[in-house]
Amino acid sequence: MRIVIAEDDALLREGMALLLRAESLDVVATTDTPTTFLSAVDAHVPDVAIVDVRMPPTHTDEGIVAAVEARRRHPDLAVLVLSAYVEQTFATDLLASGTTRLGYLLKERVGRVEEFLAALHRVADGGTAIDPEVVAQLFARSRPDSTLSRLSAREREVLSLMAEGLGNTAIAQRLFVTDGAVHKHIRSIFAKLGLAPDDRADRRVTAVLRYLEDAQRRG
Amino acid sequence: MPRRDSVAGPVTVGSDRARAVRRRLRDRARTSVDAVEQLVGGLGTSLLSLAVFLLLLLVGLACLVGVGLWLVPSAAKAVRSAADRERARLSLARDLPAPPRVPGELRGVLRDPWTRREGAFVAVHATIGFGLGVLGLSLPISAVQYLLFPLYFWMLPPDEGGPGVVIWRIDGLPDALVVALLGVGWLAATVTLGPPMARLQALPGRRLLAPPRDVDTSLRIAELTATRAAALDAHAVELRRIERSLHDGAQNRLVAVTVLLGAARRAVVRDPAQAAEILDRAQQSAELALAELRAVVRGILPPVLDDRGLTGALDGLAVGCPVPCTVEVDVPGRCAASVEATAYFVVAEALTNVARHSGATTAAVTVHRRDDRLRLRVDDDGRGGADEGAGSGIGGIRRRVEAHDGRFTLTSPPGGPTTLLVELPCGS
Repeated sequence: MRIVIAEDDALLREGMALLLRAESLDVVATTDTPTTFLSAVDAHVPDVAIVDVRMPPTHTDEGIVAAVEARRRHPDLAVLVLSAYVEQTFATDLLASGTTRLGYLLKERVGRVEEFLAALHRVADGGTAIDPEVVAQLFARSRPDSTLSRLSAREREVLSLMAEGLGNTAIAQRLFVTDGAVHKHIRSIFAKLGLAPDDRADRRVTAVLRYLEDAQRRG
Repeated sequence: MPRRDSVAGPVTVGSDRARAVRRRLRDRARTSVDAVEQLVGGLGTSLLSLAVFLLLLLVGLACLVGVGLWLVPSAAKAVRSAADRERARLSLARDLPAPPRVPGELRGVLRDPWTRREGAFVAVHATIGFGLGVLGLSLPISAVQYLLFPLYFWMLPPDEGGPGVVIWRIDGLPDALVVALLGVGWLAATVTLGPPMARLQALPGRRLLAPPRDVDTSLRIAELTATRAAALDAHAVELRRIERSLHDGAQNRLVAVTVLLGAARRAVVRDPAQAAEILDRAQQSAELALAELRAVVRGILPPVLDDRGLTGALDGLAVGCPVPCTVEVDVPGRCAASVEATAYFVVAEALTNVARHSGATTAAVTVHRRDDRLRLRVDDDGRGGADEGAGSGIGGIRRRVEAHDGRFTLTSPPGGPTTLLVELPCGS
């Protein structure tokens, strides 16, 4: 897997490169500004770009803008955005550029190497990796009378794991239940959200994210 | 005690008295000359007022037949220029807010409190002010004319009489000396009447040209609103700065720690030597995080201010400044904590600028307290050209200072040197 990293903090950039290289991943370029990042992506056409949200010059949302632009130029590029804190508007901006091959994680998740690598691979393979924190915030923001509030606690858990991009088996393992139970929860969620039952991972993640987007726009 | 004094020094007492009399005479002379000068100046502005007053009368007459209404705004502008001349003469403009622009149309002019008061001023100054000015000028001239009369009376035919009111025949020196005696009277009149006349002449200007009371408060309110907004702005900017330094500084270091720890954990089995190396880096990163947290805390409210006061805190800043820097602090007692903090940040920011942008070889910080004002001054011998817009933190200094109702001035011509002056009310 060929990777380009955009992170303005030198220590973090090198730490991440070190980690990924130790895992035999191919870090083809490390960059520290949106401009150098975009030219590195153009030059190397990597499989995945790992992008920090806050980069020079203003240290606000340059990373998001750069990620969206990179995806516009290279529609097949998988992007994993790392952020110091969760901000749904960032997530929404990203989601507007398509919901596949996309990840949005808190920076500190990188330290949980196994999960981080899993998320990286999932994104590279066309999936989605949304930080549980983002999902939790979206739930917290949803209005009491919204559809989301009709979900049971367990169903919410399943939905957030779905939003993170996990498959049925992975969800079952996380929650210590059987595949069948997960399947039942998902059907119930779809019913409550008024979505057609469908097991295919990308479709259902798309559906969930669309729904979360809607929930956020309204709430 | 009185007895001993009278024995010990009659001579001293006498010469003291003489000195006192001399001093009083000198003061009198000076105030008289000042008064004449003021009256003459007032005469000048009253001539302008007179011209404008006549113009006003003409416009007023023209208004009776209707056409004058069109001329009112221009007349108001003429009134303003006459009033401004008097404002400048009385140095009224220095501390007080300037009047707003003259309204461009008739109704605005008639409603504007400034214009109305200026109109009243022009009327009074053109008449009474003019009269006082003429009188004030003629008194000393007459005094000189009369006093010198014995020196030149022989050049005039005796039937001509003397100067001014002296219409009788002048026969020889005794008569001329009588005229000179009258001159002494004129001189006395100049000395006694001059100062009150000057005050009287200036009175309408001081009363009518100062801002109307309600205007004054409204301006003050506007100013307070602005500084309050600036205070809130400064506060928000400050919070943003803290948020930045936490997210982009300490937090990044800690993330790096977790990343490196994660990497070390993965490496521990595969390659223990590499794991140790990675752990070493993780530890360094954690130490960096601690250092940055300390810096952030210092940026919020430096503990040193509490411990060692402004003097110690500023010394600390100077020591930490890469450019050699002297500090002179003369602040008896303590100021309010917020004022000390502001002073600290001003100096910190200024020295950061000196180190980063000025290319200076020396800098000097002086802090004095005069009455209720804390005066800060930061000089450097660098290349100057410091610019508020250039993201150099100068805007931040200004906001913080203005939030405290203080004053901020920056002189930084290209080529240097740069001087930053800040004055803060101590608030204690």
